[in-house]
Amino acid sequence: MTPHRRVKRVLPFVSFVAFVSLASVVALAQIPTDAWPTYHGDYTGRRFSTLKQINTTNVKNLTLAWVYRLNTSRAGAIVGGEGPETPPPGGNTPSVKSTPLMLNGILYFSVPDHVYALDVRTGREIWHYAWKTRGGDHIGNRGVGILGNWLYFLTPDNYFVSLDVATGKERWHHEIANMKREYFSTNAPMVIGRQIIIGVGGDALDIPGYLESRDPESGNLVWRWNTTPRAGEAGAASWPDEDSMAHGGGMPWIPGTYDPELNLYYFGTGNPQPVLAGHSRPGDNLYTCTIVALNPNTGKMVWYYQVTPHDTHDWDAAQTPILIDGEFNGRPRKMVAQASRNGHYFLLDRATGEHLLTSKYLDSLNWTKGINTKGQPAHDPAKDASVPGTLVSPDTNGGTNWPPPSFNPETGLLYFGTRQGFSVMYLTDTDGRPQGWAAAERNVAVVGNALKAVDYKTGQVKWSRPLATGPAGSMGGPMGLLSTSGGLLFGNDGTNNFVAYDASSGKPLWHAGLGATTTNGPQTFMVDGRQLIVVGAGDMLYAFALQP
Amino acid sequence: MAATAMRYVERRARRARRELLVSACLTSSAFLFLAFMGSATARAQQQALTPVTDQAAVDRGKALLVEQCGFCHGANARGGSGGPDLTRSVIVQEDEGGKQLGAFLRVGRPDRGMPKFDLPDAQMADLAAFLHSAIYLNANRRLYKILDIVVGDPKAGQAYFNGAGRCSSCHSPTGDLKGVGAKYEPTALQGRLLLPRGGRGSGPPSGPLYLEPTAIKVTVTLPSGESASGGLVRLTDFDVILYDTAAGRVRSFLRNGDVPKVVVTDPLQAHVDHLTKWTDTEMHNMTAYLASLK
Repeated sequence: MTPHRRVKRVLPFVSFVAFVSLASVVALAQIPTDAWPTYHGDYTGRRFSTLKQINTTNVKNLTLAWVYRLNTSRAGAIVGGEGPETPPPGGNTPSVKSTPLMLNGILYFSVPDHVYALDVRTGREIWHYAWKTRGGDHIGNRGVGILGNWLYFLTPDNYFVSLDVATGKERWHHEIANMKREYFSTNAPMVIGRQIIIGVGGDALDIPGYLESRDPESGNLVWRWNTTPRAGEAGAASWPDEDSMAHGGGMPWIPGTYDPELNLYYFGTGNPQPVLAGHSRPGDNLYTCTIVALNPNTGKMVWYYQVTPHDTHDWDAAQTPILIDGEFNGRPRKMVAQASRNGHYFLLDRATGEHLLTSKYLDSLNWTKGINTKGQPAHDPAKDASVPGTLVSPDTNGGTNWPPPSFNPETGLLYFGTRQGFSVMYLTDTDGRPQGWAAAERNVAVVGNALKAVDYKTGQVKWSRPLATGPAGSMGGPMGLLSTSGGLLFGNDGTNNFVAYDASSGKPLWHAGLGATTTNGPQTFMVDGRQLIVVGAGDMLYAFALQP
Repeated sequence: MAATAMRYVERRARRARRELLVSACLTSSAFLFLAFMGSATARAQQQALTPVTDQAAVDRGKALLVEQCGFCHGANARGGSGGPDLTRSVIVQEDEGGKQLGAFLRVGRPDRGMPKFDLPDAQMADLAAFLHSAIYLNANRRLYKILDIVVGDPKAGQAYFNGAGRCSSCHSPTGDLKGVGAKYEPTALQGRLLLPRGGRGSGPPSGPLYLEPTAIKVTVTLPSGESASGGLVRLTDFDVILYDTAAGRVRSFLRNGDVPKVVVTDPLQAHVDHLTKWTDTEMHNMTAYLASLK
């Protein structure tokens, strides 16, 4: 079987979407057992695999298959980009935050400015593409998208780049935003039919956010959806004036999920700008901190639900909107769930956006006036940053964050890592037109971080596993997770231990001390009849399998 | 409100120098704290923009802005009577050294009420230097200055100290807290009031956090009855690492369920428990009271 044919079998819809039946598209409602073709493995964002070769009984025999350490040298790499020959000084060692794609026995993943193809059996590098950067925030990169024989990724200096999957050779690159306005790009391109969906990031200045679809052949713009309205558009009344909404942020910086039957793309938008000061933008500030459903062919919004009206704490709603098919209040429903950064869990009907459930998952939460009639946490102005300081929990890191959660349809539990930070937030920009963050944050304490399992139907915490403790308090928090039919949940313990938990009880069954805390979403697939578990921790990628 | 704002301004000027030192200190200790906590989500902010180093050009540019542009765009360039915020302007943000800005200004936008300004290149460069400097300061939150935070009522703070806060059960203004208001800057003082861990406010910790008196403590008891106690280095489901005070060294033990027995105590538990009880007013009053203990 040639690699080309093999790709088409896994992603039948990618090249000939117009002729593909619905049934074959629906295939990605579940992670394939021998591939990992999207950021989440499938379109649902559940990060649940039906594999069970590795299970609660034998996981104790899980052992190392191979490791790969990132090579960021340009020597021997395929080099592209618009920046200087010598990399800018002060770059940190990058961490693997991307979830690799696995197709035809090859892993494709990225860190800022670098893309790698590795042989999945051995961890051996096949090719390495290095981007000469002009700058921008190198905080992380979520990964690549693949359509047929072409790979797509974004750079910190906001280029949309396409490479040949087989060789790593560059086809073209397009600038999608200007880094001098403090835009930077971290998103993993999402491939839906012939739409390559990408979003921008950046919150240092008051800039507008947008999601785009690009043409897979030319890289040219197909549509753009602004995350905040312009004058006269729907939602404009949630801002005081044209200037505030046109500089209102709302960065869509994490890949979303997709329901092929409804043909809706779901994603969460970022926080409004200025970040910690709301006095120049009274109103709900649509569509920031919002779960949005839009038609991926047209880029038109179909419905929205704002999880934090008028955010003033940097709590974006970028966390994965997970698609759940199941029973709610006695009848089957198509739903979307989010464990949101603001400390609450939300359950919505994903066809209509109808609100079904809100619950609080973080004990320390102190910033709302309760839940309003629409199920939204009601903004409490008394907990905004103030000149003499406002004690807020969670801190700006949120109760959880971007690392991908997991939903296991067999347990009905949604798993995610939580962090209970306390910070004092000081308003520093008292001007009537504050800019940027406009306030300073001083972290005070982190206590009671835990891995939590929430019953999707009730929103109640079924079990909570405390994470590690250090000399100054609780460690870790948000983490990438994977659940399987083997009854397992893979994550970390807040330190450098990669852990297999019993998905029903949260009891740890196996662990391996890695060089660093895991930094991406773990993944699994069968290779030559052997189930592999792959996870990134810092600048390393690890593969595990059962003892032969 | 106006009077309060005036007080901020006055006190800010008085304390500007000290504030600067404190914020530098706090930034580094907060950074170390977060680094130590291993927070995967702590953001290492990295700017695309670079600071404007020619302060004289920035000052000349500011004077020029006030004189030529201030009426419409405000004296701080954030917008005024009819003119938009220049620090948010795409033309300004994407400009390089006054080149694009100059090209725009020499034409203006007469149809939208923006007259042309035909300034010499040097003045265009000065104007750009000021605007780019302002944008850099907006974008770089590490440089934000905390204003005067001592606005509470020290008497109410004292009452809270001796009453509802139950602070006096452990602390005394003439004992451990004597002169505390002179020892720490207000932000550090407020941080320590909430949780005085890890040398907060005294600069970066001088050594490992587990050696600090305020570190979380642990006692490990083996099935043999042997036990070890001291500062906690790390406790996970699989192991416990501590600084064994009696032995004078770091020791580690693997854990298997409840064996060995592990008991964790936090010398600052009362502070931790209080974190969810504070009102901001109580916190401000207590800060004012502690600041008065000079």
